[in-house]
Amino acid sequence: MGTADVLKEGPGKAFMLCNEAIVRGALEADVKLVSAYPGSPTTEILDTFSEVSPKFDLKMEIASNEKVALETCAGAAMVGLRSISSMKSVGMNVASDSFFSLSYTGVKGGMVIVMADDPQAHSSQTEQDGRPFGPNAYIPMLEPSDPEEAKRMVKMAFDLSEKYSVPILMRTTTRVSHQSGIVTLDRMERKPFVKLSWTHPPGRYVTVAESARQFKLALLERSKRIEEEFNKSELNQVTDTGSEMGIITSGAGYNYAVDATKLLGINPSILKLGTTYPLPKRLIGEFLKKLKTVIIVEELSPYLELHVTAIAKDANPAVKIFGKWTGHFSEALEYNPNIVADGIGKIVGKTPPVDYEKTLERATELKKGLAERWPTFCPGCPHRATLYALRQATKGTKHILSTDIGCYSMSFLDPINYGDSLLSMGACLGVAAGMQYGAQEKVVAMIGDSTFFHAGLPGLVNAIHHNDDFTLVILDNEVTAMTGQQPHATRDYNAGGKPAKPLVIEDVIKGMGLTDITIVDPYQVKQAIPAMKDALSRKGPNVIISRRACALYSDRNKRKRGETIQTNKVDKEVCKKPYTCIRGFHCPAISVDDEDRKAFITKGLCDRCDVCAKLCPFGSIRLREGD
Amino acid sequence: MSGKEFSVYMAGVGGQGLVLLSNVIGSACASAGIRAITGEQHGLSQRSGSINVHMRISEDVRSPLIPIGSADAILALDALEALRYVEYLRPGGVVVMNSRIQHPIIETNEHTKDKAARYMSAGDVKARLSEVTDKVAVIDALELGKKAGNPLTENIVMLGALATLEDFPVPEEALRNSISENVPKKAVEVNLRAFELGKQFAFDTLCNIVKCRK
Repeated sequence: MGTADVLKEGPGKAFMLCNEAIVRGALEADVKLVSAYPGSPTTEILDTFSEVSPKFDLKMEIASNEKVALETCAGAAMVGLRSISSMKSVGMNVASDSFFSLSYTGVKGGMVIVMADDPQAHSSQTEQDGRPFGPNAYIPMLEPSDPEEAKRMVKMAFDLSEKYSVPILMRTTTRVSHQSGIVTLDRMERKPFVKLSWTHPPGRYVTVAESARQFKLALLERSKRIEEEFNKSELNQVTDTGSEMGIITSGAGYNYAVDATKLLGINPSILKLGTTYPLPKRLIGEFLKKLKTVIIVEELSPYLELHVTAIAKDANPAVKIFGKWTGHFSEALEYNPNIVADGIGKIVGKTPPVDYEKTLERATELKKGLAERWPTFCPGCPHRATLYALRQATKGTKHILSTDIGCYSMSFLDPINYGDSLLSMGACLGVAAGMQYGAQEKVVAMIGDSTFFHAGLPGLVNAIHHNDDFTLVILDNEVTAMTGQQPHATRDYNAGGKPAKPLVIEDVIKGMGLTDITIVDPYQVKQAIPAMKDALSRKGPNVIISRRACALYSDRNKRKRGETIQTNKVDKEVCKKPYTCIRGFHCPAISVDDEDRKAFITKGLCDRCDVCAKLCPFGSIRLREGD
Repeated sequence: MSGKEFSVYMAGVGGQGLVLLSNVIGSACASAGIRAITGEQHGLSQRSGSINVHMRISEDVRSPLIPIGSADAILALDALEALRYVEYLRPGGVVVMNSRIQHPIIETNEHTKDKAARYMSAGDVKARLSEVTDKVAVIDALELGKKAGNPLTENIVMLGALATLEDFPVPEEALRNSISENVPKKAVEVNLRAFELGKQFAFDTLCNIVKCRK
């Protein structure tokens, strides 16, 4: 596990997270440049690379967004270096502009893009299915099912990329990316980093008009050749049991399908597709020819089902195809062994050994009264204080809160229930611009520092230029907190701790010509409230920067410096139970004592931001000493 | 499944070291030549949210998610989280749960509105779980962790208890080595002590209700 196994001398075996296995595979493939922006479920790829990068002869950047990351990899690959980027599903939306063009121009050095979809939207704004990006851009797409395969596949992807001069998309989903398993480590053979010379003729990577038309014709030929290779590739595996029933599946779906057949005690033939663009049409056709029934097991959209249906029209028009269109599987939410066993069971007329519905009903009964534990702000999180202050500052002012992607997104959850809209990275600004035209209420936009640099800048330029009337609250907690405190543009270091030039948010905004900037410290909540109120009363566009380091980041730094993390306690003699430390604040470290109904602070959780102490009108919360 | 499987559904609250715990078990498996896979939860809930890890130790399972109603054990670092995922436990499966509860903010919020509100307790959870299994062991892992020398070793205390089960297929020696390799160097001693205390506690309690290793 962790970086130790990524660095381990091969050959050998290790228990690795899929994202770590991908890093190991890329390092074994002698990757020379890494650029990415964090996003779950791919973040551990970036984190692992960042941690090991000082030990390898490679260049790495934690980019300001996925588009810049992809372009950085593209530039290096144009020169001839092997490069890799990773991004979550919606990160590909940001990167896709260049992704499409890159298919036309191609690359010289091997280039791999890992894109992870998030069925169930565990940590994403949608359940977006990224597979159409492959065929839409004519970029070959591979899909692993587990860490071992992901590692092998990423190595093959670099070779394929160089063979066909095209970037390779490796698509995973959350349950593949966040799966750990035993991985085979090969020998790590690394060549020294050398700068190459640019040997291409002028216009080699320029795609527009006539060159675009030429590139298009060439890439269609390329796709044909790749499809031919995929028809014979070991990336696609047929398990022929001689059965008249078969399953076609890929990625996470394969794992569930295999276990489901065992649960049901059936033995169908299985075609596991590792190449989902170009689809190996001949291989699929041959598989279908032997079958009377085929079941398609895939999460999200009926991507494989659509193509298998089209291929069956010629290959075996009589084959019965079961999947989403027959109502046996859903396009919503992630699958699991039970869902797949239920779906297949209904098709083959068998019931799984466990009555899942009854088990779930019974569990629901047992769980009555069990409080939800939604993700929330950590003890000490400056966002909790900022949101509290913003609510106080807007008391009596009807307003709309246009929010954005980051830890602060969680403000809409119970019991905080604050925030009116959330679309995508940086969207709070454009949305606020539209709201201020349409709504009578005051409009407030809210964005984190990392998101501001990622996609907020164009929205702010627009708002300043058009003199849009809203107040932007920027939550500056020094890092990209939600994904694990990665450094961003305001830090003086980047990937692997290498030095970087820090940008100052207010200087950037002043440079855009906006001077109405109010800076508050959310921990000084009593001072922050009137300052925010004042700023909110002025005509926009204006900006409030709420500045205080992420509590986890701050704790980590404190521990590094050998400082102890102090905690508060409630003086029960003084507490008169106004619950001002709880209502509207909702810190997980504060609960109510069931005996005397007074507030209680859990020592191991409190981070001593001291905001609750400032909220208490009786001064009952103070530094814990001794105990 | 065709091969013998031991699956444990591990649950807790963000920040309790659940992923480290699954890595300790997984690395021990790797070194002992046993196949293990997990389905983990990362991202979003840095702290204070409910989190879970599906751990399947078997030669031939593929899904990283344990099927409903088939986990051999639930290991919960917070008592409430044992109940939250009860549907995964097979009938008669073992529950090893920490007596500690971090009260959810939603429950605390109710306390400010209703004077009669009471938190769900570890006793309440145990009573409810007893309706699906008679094998529930409650451990004060925080207290044992403190006794070992660091309250943050709660997760390893729990592992010590789990490791006493006769059906748990990972050799104790491999687990100890894995603890030594996976925790920070200066914390090895205290973690090994925590492992031992968890084991001892289980021998005195859990092993009265479940078959344990000798």
